[in-house]
Amino acid sequence: MTEPTPGRGRRPRSERRRRRIRNRPERRFDDGLQHERTALAWERTAISGVVAGAVLVRAANAEGLSVFVLVGLLQIAIAGGVLLWASLHYEELHGVLRRGDSVVHPHATRLVGVTTIGFTFAAVGFAVVTGVGQLLA
Amino acid sequence: MASHNGRVPTDDAHERASEPPDWIGPDRRAVPLGSEPDYRFTLANERTFLAWIRTALALAAGGLGALNLIENFYGQEIVGFLLLGLSATAAVNAYRRWRSVELAMRLEQPLPNSRLPMIVALGTTVIGLAVAVLFALGEW
Repeated sequence: MTEPTPGRGRRPRSERRRRRIRNRPERRFDDGLQHERTALAWERTAISGVVAGAVLVRAANAEGLSVFVLVGLLQIAIAGGVLLWASLHYEELHGVLRRGDSVVHPHATRLVGVTTIGFTFAAVGFAVVTGVGQLLA
Repeated sequence: MASHNGRVPTDDAHERASEPPDWIGPDRRAVPLGSEPDYRFTLANERTFLAWIRTALALAAGGLGALNLIENFYGQEIVGFLLLGLSATAAVNAYRRWRSVELAMRLEQPLPNSRLPMIVALGTTVIGLAVAVLFALGEW
């Protein structure tokens, strides 16, 4: 674990690297690289979210439905935020595991769950709107 | 291998596990509830949830693609609707399942069953067969 030394960021790169290596744990505390696999799963999911949002943006743009374009952009923004959080949180999870704190992320999971539920329902709404539009045309 | 409510066998991690950890309670607020399961099972549950979310997002992207990106395919609206419906089902049940599994582990109860794998497997099979039939009809 890195020490909370003042001015830590100003140390030369080689010294920072030496310190990092020296501060590595001697005992294995993450059997099966659980936290790394979980961080990768979060990142894969976030990338999938970005792609799904982009597909909705493209489809809604082709139909000229700006509300759904906004929904797609919102999905991309949230998924991008989750991607960023997952990358940063991966580092912090080492500390969480060593302190013996809870590793569950109820709030992040709820955010992703609710966002995805909202996105899939918006996609169904998009399908209904375009279907009704085609029937009326 | 520890049981799902066992303690982490390394270092002094989870030394504080005797304190009730925060969890989203029935009133949707963070409250102490049950005991902290082995973190490996917590993370495995989280990964399973994320895999279901990816499945839902892939189904949504497929449904939107069927509706909008395919040209000259008879029945693309039906296929798109079915894929999007399956996607919404997967997303809703993924979250419910993650929550109920986490609660069961915390309260040291048996893990709940879920029909979601069967629903998604049957749904994708039916939609795949429908696409094949529609494609054959369109060619014919």
